[in-house]
Amino acid sequence: MRVKVNRTDLDLFEGAQVRHALLRYFVRRKYDLKLVEQTPVFDAYGHSLDLDAPLHDGMILKCKVR
Amino acid sequence: MRRKLPLLLSAACMVCTLAGAQPKEVHIISTNDMHANIQAFPQLAAIVDSMRAVHPGLLVISAGDNRTGEPLNDLYEIPAYPMVALMNQVGFDLTTLGNHEFDSGQAGLARLISLSNFDYVCANVHPDPKWGMHLSPYKMLFVDGVKVGVVGAVQLGTAGHPDSHPDNCVDIAFTPVLETVQQYKWLRDQCDVVIFLSHLGYDDDVKISADLPWVDLIIGGHSHTQVKGGEIHNGVMITQDSNKLKNVTHTTLTVENGRVTGRKAELINVTNFPAKNKIVEELTRYFCDNPAFERVLCQLEKPVSAYEELGCLMTDAWRAETGSDVAFTNAGGIRFDSLPAGPFTVSDVLRLDPFGNEAVELTLTGKELKEMLIACANADEFRFPSVSGIVCNVVRDKKRPETIKDVAITFPDGVKFDLKRLYKVVTNSYSAAIADSPRQDQGHGLNRTTASLIQDYLEHQGRVDYAGKCRIFETKK
Repeated sequence: MRVKVNRTDLDLFEGAQVRHALLRYFVRRKYDLKLVEQTPVFDAYGHSLDLDAPLHDGMILKCKVR
Repeated sequence: MRRKLPLLLSAACMVCTLAGAQPKEVHIISTNDMHANIQAFPQLAAIVDSMRAVHPGLLVISAGDNRTGEPLNDLYEIPAYPMVALMNQVGFDLTTLGNHEFDSGQAGLARLISLSNFDYVCANVHPDPKWGMHLSPYKMLFVDGVKVGVVGAVQLGTAGHPDSHPDNCVDIAFTPVLETVQQYKWLRDQCDVVIFLSHLGYDDDVKISADLPWVDLIIGGHSHTQVKGGEIHNGVMITQDSNKLKNVTHTTLTVENGRVTGRKAELINVTNFPAKNKIVEELTRYFCDNPAFERVLCQLEKPVSAYEELGCLMTDAWRAETGSDVAFTNAGGIRFDSLPAGPFTVSDVLRLDPFGNEAVELTLTGKELKEMLIACANADEFRFPSVSGIVCNVVRDKKRPETIKDVAITFPDGVKFDLKRLYKVVTNSYSAAIADSPRQDQGHGLNRTTASLIQDYLEHQGRVDYAGKCRIFETKK
């Protein structure tokens, strides 16, 4: 499935969660993976999502890495 | 004047009748995706107790995924029974099925339903009668003279069944959500309040609300979306809390003359709620002291004393239990490096592989696998993954040892590893996420935790010996 984190398209396995999208995004951007657990994530509506939340194809996530 | 008298009398009667039809309130505490956070139940019970003291007709409702995610619950003697017992004690009225309710298997779910004092409403799930699964598509509840109709539904994944292991969905028919729920539109005529108890996820709840104008409230779950109280979409109020009982939603519906005239919803924080129900606290403590963790799975013949030895064990387990050609784990996924000879318990497995990672299966060419292993190492502090089914000779740069110059892969029996051939590969969800390498197949989750695969493997083996096992050989050039 393909999801978008900020403006980056990511291809992930079926059944992936928000955590996995962030991990891939952090690897792509060369951020410290330890920060994933502290990074707030939001859906396209601006709702807060937790890292265990399931993803679906086409989902748009936004995160702000501190 | 004589002609006007009956008119005046009837008008007076009407005023009296209207004055008598006082607005009534329906109060609901709802939650979703509790994922077996049993530790939050003493606070949840205290919230429900205090609300019931003020609103005796309070409804307590879950939008599904009550189980999965907490070994204390999921590995109980009757798997997931602690959640059912605690929900009984709190006094839940209803739940719908989340996709993770199916993780119990058909017989397991049927048993949990039979042990529940609350009802399961899910209109788009039709189990074969042989499972003895007592589900209702809808329920009517009566709250202080107000008739409340609740219809439920669960999400269906791309395979046409809820996101659980396919084996758990055999001999259960699933029907499309919207088409099915629309069959209960008649609830609008029969009830003062109509609720759709949804385990579809927030995006789908918003979409479906356009087709369900006859619904007053959607209590949602699945996407772990933190809706701040309630939101109105297409005239329907939608609520959902994050997960694991961080909050619950208190919804108040005002009903006048058989219809909802007011809707408001607010969050109540569970984690920081100052009171606890003492009985539920004791029950939680009882379930936390779970003897299932000390169950012996097999005997370790010789002590192990290296991460690589335990990495070989973990990946052998994943490969054997999934029938794959190759398995690998990121080095950081092996959480301890020594264990004495003797009993290997459930607790040991959960310490070894504690993150609740899911097993992910991919079909990769030999070249893609090689690149994925290198990408995994690069994202995991340059430590090469542990493997099963293959042996890896890793060549690192002499001056910059973090740089992997090449990996020569062979099979243990000497058969040539073919870079063009397709191999079935299993890894954990963490490795599948961090290994950012080009590949045709991103894989799919197997709806099994990698820890559960290790448990099954050890039980099947009876005795294991991993002392001195090594499949990664590193040189510098």
